[in-house]
Amino acid sequence: MTTALLEQTIELLPEKAVLLADRTLVVADLHLGKAIAFQAKGLAIPEGDSDSDLASLATLCQQQNASRLIIDGDLFHSPAGLTTAIEQSLESFMEKLGIPVQLVIGNHDRKIARLPAKLEPVPSIEAAGFHIVHDPGEARDDRPTIAAHWHPVARIADGKRTSLRLPCFLIRGEMLVLPSFGSFTGGAIVEPRKDDRIFVAPGDQVIEVPPRLLRK
Amino acid sequence: MPGNPLQPFFRQRGWRAFPFQKQTWAAYADGKSGLLHAPTGLGKTLAVWGGPVIEAIMNPRSGCSVLWITPLRALAQDTLRALREPLELLAPDLQVEARTGDTPAALRARLRKRLPFGLVTTPESLSLMLTHPDTREKLSGLRAVIVDEWHELLGTKRGVQTELCLARLRAWLPDLQIWGLSATLGNLDDARATLLGDLPSVRIDADLKKPIRIETLIPREIDRFPWSGHLGTRLAPQVVRELEKAHTTLLFTNTRSQTEIWFQELVALRPDWRDTLAMHHGSLDRAEREKVEAGLRDGSLRCVVCTSSLDLGVDFSPVDQVIQVGSPKGIARLLQRAGRSGHQPGKTSRVLGVPTHAMELVEFAAVRDAALARHLEARRPLTKPLDVLVQHLVTCAIGEPFEPAEMRREIQSSHAFRDLGDDEWNWCLGFISNGGQALAAYPRYQKARLVDGRYQVDDKRLITQHRLSIGTISSDAHVSVRFANGHSLGTVEEGFISRLKPGNLLVFAGRKLELMRLHQRVATVRVATRQAKGHVAIWGGSKMPLSTELSHAMAARLRGEGGRAPEMTAVAPILAIQQRWSRLPDDRSLLVEHTRSREGEHLFIYPMAGRLVHEGLGALMAYRLRLKDDVTVTQNDYGFCLSARRGLHLSEDAIRFNLTLDSLLEDLIACLNTAELARRHFREVARVAGLVLQQLPGRQQRGQREIQSSSRLLFEVLERYDPANLLLLQSQREILEKQLEYSRLGNALSEIKERPIHLIETENLTPMAFPLWADRLSATLPAGDVASRLEQMLEELNQAATR
Repeated sequence: MTTALLEQTIELLPEKAVLLADRTLVVADLHLGKAIAFQAKGLAIPEGDSDSDLASLATLCQQQNASRLIIDGDLFHSPAGLTTAIEQSLESFMEKLGIPVQLVIGNHDRKIARLPAKLEPVPSIEAAGFHIVHDPGEARDDRPTIAAHWHPVARIADGKRTSLRLPCFLIRGEMLVLPSFGSFTGGAIVEPRKDDRIFVAPGDQVIEVPPRLLRK
Repeated sequence: MPGNPLQPFFRQRGWRAFPFQKQTWAAYADGKSGLLHAPTGLGKTLAVWGGPVIEAIMNPRSGCSVLWITPLRALAQDTLRALREPLELLAPDLQVEARTGDTPAALRARLRKRLPFGLVTTPESLSLMLTHPDTREKLSGLRAVIVDEWHELLGTKRGVQTELCLARLRAWLPDLQIWGLSATLGNLDDARATLLGDLPSVRIDADLKKPIRIETLIPREIDRFPWSGHLGTRLAPQVVRELEKAHTTLLFTNTRSQTEIWFQELVALRPDWRDTLAMHHGSLDRAEREKVEAGLRDGSLRCVVCTSSLDLGVDFSPVDQVIQVGSPKGIARLLQRAGRSGHQPGKTSRVLGVPTHAMELVEFAAVRDAALARHLEARRPLTKPLDVLVQHLVTCAIGEPFEPAEMRREIQSSHAFRDLGDDEWNWCLGFISNGGQALAAYPRYQKARLVDGRYQVDDKRLITQHRLSIGTISSDAHVSVRFANGHSLGTVEEGFISRLKPGNLLVFAGRKLELMRLHQRVATVRVATRQAKGHVAIWGGSKMPLSTELSHAMAARLRGEGGRAPEMTAVAPILAIQQRWSRLPDDRSLLVEHTRSREGEHLFIYPMAGRLVHEGLGALMAYRLRLKDDVTVTQNDYGFCLSARRGLHLSEDAIRFNLTLDSLLEDLIACLNTAELARRHFREVARVAGLVLQQLPGRQQRGQREIQSSSRLLFEVLERYDPANLLLLQSQREILEKQLEYSRLGNALSEIKERPIHLIETENLTPMAFPLWADRLSATLPAGDVASRLEQMLEELNQAATR
């Protein structure tokens, strides 16, 4: 869905990414190695997420013909999850991609002593008129912000007694909060405020959710 | 009983031993195990405790000789008192202690060093003991294990946990004698086989008929009485008069919400009783509950409104009246409740039924018939809950390394796992060692390691983590309710409280409260000053269905069997209307009513099989009919109703065709979104199997945050990357049984095949039909599968977007 939001033209993609005017693709919260972190603590969670998440991210970059990729924080889940295998997958992913990749440091990444240097980790980035930072609490007043961290999920009434939970984009004031990209990440239900705009992708397109369908 | 070492105790009390007590002592002396079936308050404790005590007096030995397993922590102290009494006189040097989750740390440390002659404990605490390497040695002198209230454990995962612990103890001590205590069940022999397996054992019945009187409060004006439905408090003024007559009354309700409603109603009717009325249910703060229990013991309370939280155990001698509000649901359940009064031997237990709608009058008459005829419900033992097994295997591996073949024999000696297959066993071993997938092991996962052919767990962190999460009880996400000064009132479900806003009123713990704020799973409240109706706290959990046995007893009453009963006389005018307009339903034929209204057509079907089965049948039939229009399904304990614009004018053959047993499972899975249900239920399975960590209230361990996830998410991940995980299947199996009573549903369908159908076109809604029709407003359509739901959503969203 292409929208002029926050006075900039951006494209919200159903794959839980946003494409900026200069073809910068932004995703967030991959939490690579989360399953491994669980395993290391004695919880039998199957492997498989990290590689498939990277694979789908690579496909997305190609499809969108992205000129660069920004990962808006929490690429990694925890030190225990950053294994050599994950490092290798990441390396071959970047090689295959052939475009610049940059990491905005998230709260989870911060716990990792040596982030791979190739990612040029930085606290925040300015791109196509946006301030890109992980924590929505660090949004700027003077220009539009893209943040992540909340893993926003919309709870949508289906007219019966049940409701659907769908990962969503949230626009609150001058800020866009991205859904989490990783498949093993879960989410937190957004408590909608007045004038919030919420977008979900139940199928292969992004749709704005009318406020009356939202549930707390 | 000359020469019996227990005699001085009996003489001191002025008692005589009952024949069943002597029988039990003799069987014990013979080296036998057994199941003692006796109602509460009949000296059953002394019967099973006597054997080991006699043995200890005749042949003094050191160390722990008896383990006493009780299902309820709260019962441990009372049990302790009962066990110590005879010893004080007979053998003062024999010690008995309790070790449960409530035991203070100092005593626990002392018990870690040395165990007393008798140890009272819970299944969870016993499991925990098995994780300590010296337990085998400390229990090497163990002679007997006594399992109290076995009927409460039977059919639950805690029961299976107990079976597994016993299998372990029996493998260590082949001569161990095991004794179970059980109240009356429909399948006592199953109960014995489940607990004792192939041990040489006896069943002893304390054939002392405890006199029980079941009466019903008859409404004065039956015509104005609701035909069905409602949590009516209409009879409250009459109940107050009954309370006046008794000294102390336990007033049982079926749900916690009903408890709150009745408490409010009684206080409103008799404000002067404020200080002698109390309430008790599982969500109240423990201190609050203990205060009420103390009040019951010393007789200072006039009436306690309660739920099943007071069904069990503790002896409240002053209680002289029990009232059951609403459907008794089951025969054994009502008898258990009745037994809470007249707790001493020889006294009559009396229970007064308070119907909340007309059909419950029939239920009370039927429950009395069945109780007199001793037709009680059976409790089916569980088979092969693998989550419990993997937890137990880790428990064992922590205690001492185990050799797989030997362990498998031990596990298969338990009733629950006697048919454990190779695949299942290998999967479990895989799950506790490399993660469970046969080919692709999880790289960083290792709980148990195989060393020299034996599985062991030696990672200290994992051991601590496992000890903290032993057990099979899992609770839903709860929010604690407190006053601003920190005084805690209890817990409510997150789902309920999160719907309230600050300033909203709620009724909880017998008080009208105003929500001030909700922050980090603590709801701060203050006493409401406004006069307005509040939301009564609601707790989740499915409604308990009428038991099969009680349904049959009720059908017999509706067929006109049984002698005169005041309930039947009272309900006669309503049954006469039903008969005139249609006929009475029963369990030998199948009554189907069809009627039209302005909204369309309604089909009422009365299999008399309990509400969960009806829920399943309704959804099944709605799905199989494949109507173009929406179908609304409603159900109660007697039948179910389909409503639609058109298409419900069916022939008898069509009804039969739609209620066939063929492809039952496939159709149910297709129509009920069982995947979604299983996903929700997975929380419990995942917790027991150790896939999610138990959240300890109050504090969050460091480093735990990053390994938290919702069980829903886990289910999705497993489904995608490890679809062969047996825990997924188990979750689905359990949810079918729990939400739909799947086996009962199958039985109901095969019975229906044989029953003649009476298809009747009715002018008006009959008394049986009305409540089902009235319920349709709040009915939920059976959810479709996720894909079609999504599709529907999309459409709705698109419409909204294009406007």
